[in-house]
Amino acid sequence: MEQRFEGSPRAMIYLQGRRVHRTEVYHDWGLRLQWVIRRNGQVIATVPARADASYEHPDAAPGNYEIVLQSWKYVNYRKNPQGEFTDSRFIDISNQVSYTV
Amino acid sequence: MLNIGNVKVPVCHGHGFSRRSFLQAGTAGMAGMVLPNLLGLGSAGAVESRRARIKNCITIFLVGSPGHLDTWDMKPDAPENVRGKFKPIRTNVAGVQICEHFPLMARMMNKVSLIRSLHHRTGATHENGQRWMMTGHDFNADSMKPHCGSVVSRMFGQKSELPANVVLPGPIGNTGAGPLHGQTAAHLGSAHEPFFLNADPAARDFRVGDLEAPAGTSASRLDARRQLLDQLDQIQRRTETRSTQMHDSSYERAFRLLTSQRAKDAFDLDKEPHRLRDRYGRNTFGQSCLMARRLIEGGVRYVTVNHFDTVFNLTCWDMHADGGGLNNTYLDYERHLCPQFDWAFTALIEDLEQRGLLQETVVAVLSEFGRTPQVNGRGGRDHYPQAWTNFLCGGNIRGGQVVGATDRIGSRPIDSPVEPPQILATIYHGMGIDLDNTMMPGPGERPIRLVEAEPIRQLFV
Repeated sequence: MEQRFEGSPRAMIYLQGRRVHRTEVYHDWGLRLQWVIRRNGQVIATVPARADASYEHPDAAPGNYEIVLQSWKYVNYRKNPQGEFTDSRFIDISNQVSYTV
Repeated sequence: MLNIGNVKVPVCHGHGFSRRSFLQAGTAGMAGMVLPNLLGLGSAGAVESRRARIKNCITIFLVGSPGHLDTWDMKPDAPENVRGKFKPIRTNVAGVQICEHFPLMARMMNKVSLIRSLHHRTGATHENGQRWMMTGHDFNADSMKPHCGSVVSRMFGQKSELPANVVLPGPIGNTGAGPLHGQTAAHLGSAHEPFFLNADPAARDFRVGDLEAPAGTSASRLDARRQLLDQLDQIQRRTETRSTQMHDSSYERAFRLLTSQRAKDAFDLDKEPHRLRDRYGRNTFGQSCLMARRLIEGGVRYVTVNHFDTVFNLTCWDMHADGGGLNNTYLDYERHLCPQFDWAFTALIEDLEQRGLLQETVVAVLSEFGRTPQVNGRGGRDHYPQAWTNFLCGGNIRGGQVVGATDRIGSRPIDSPVEPPQILATIYHGMGIDLDNTMMPGPGERPIRLVEAEPIRQLFV
């Protein structure tokens, strides 16, 4: 029996200074949650977000920072020869916030 | 054709109803022993359930088996091809570290007792490990042994309309080497077979088929059918064997289950707050853990949650990384398995504790074996029964301790080695069963011990 995942997860995130906070995840699939941090459009970090509901990225290099919350979405376990999933993937489950350094 | 619940019962032409059909319908894979059996055993000194702190058990069975070096027995100082990809993190117990992908469990390690020296001496198949961990025995088809929950059902009987022994969400299926998984009542009889949910509690249209009366069948019609069965019983009882008579209580309880609103409520996850369902995880495993708590609350004594029913062609703990049908890797552990377990397990412990149930419920997280100390050439690990880690919490299990240890590469126990029957002996002992004075009927009615092992006394407060 494949694990079934009900509904679509959704959370709100907001900034207090440079610290990002998240609400509880509605329809939480219980899989990996992660913050994705982009600077000037490039992903510079993915950080586990399950254990704590807030995070402050330590990088202070100048630029425009964007943060979004993602959840792993399991479709199946198929992988390509390099070992990467072909169908399952991370999906955005929140709004995006940004700040400038 | 007669319907009882969702079971179609053939009617023998010219001979009225087939008794065998009634029994098949009534059993529906469930039911327990009546209370007088517990009283009888108690008066004989075999059980001390009133004094026992543990009244219930939830077993979470991690089908496929996590690598102990990647989860709860990490070796950060070992060579790279042994220590693997993950890093250890501190827990709230000084000196005890676990995998970084169990951050919530790390915060409640003071409630958990890790057993890091498990091993068994039979072949490295999933089924061998399942039989050891589900029954405390190794056996073949000619000498089947009962599931731990079936023994508890036989010893203590039912507390309510609900069966004493339930398996969620369904039985273990194909894991590669045969059908003997140790999830049957064996010679204890059909009255103690686990009740298999056989449905996915995470499904939007989830319902338990065995609890649904057919459309148009009223309670009074069901009652009329039961009365008819009673009359047939009285005629035929004189010629029945003991094992057939066990079916009587089975279908009596099938009717009770079918007509009980309380039983239906216990299986109804819609009665839980949305937020709590989220806290367990909106997936098959998480919702099964939530249902386990509801069932314990409703009077079930023993619930088994199978995390997966097979190891083939899906994400599960069986991390061979073979590039084919057994292609689980570190990515499956990191993104799916560890977070899913961490989220649901910690929700279950918190929930049981908040309801005052943790002090009387032991939660046992078990698996078939460990995984090879060396990462294989494809980046996975293979079966390894020489060493692994499982854990218990709840009841009067003393949390925050580690029993046993393995060597520097996790290849063998070097302190307090533990074999699977000792885990079951611990559960039985915790529930008040006197292992020295309790025999169960073996094949041919010959009495045998429940398990040939002693409890791990260090685990208890």
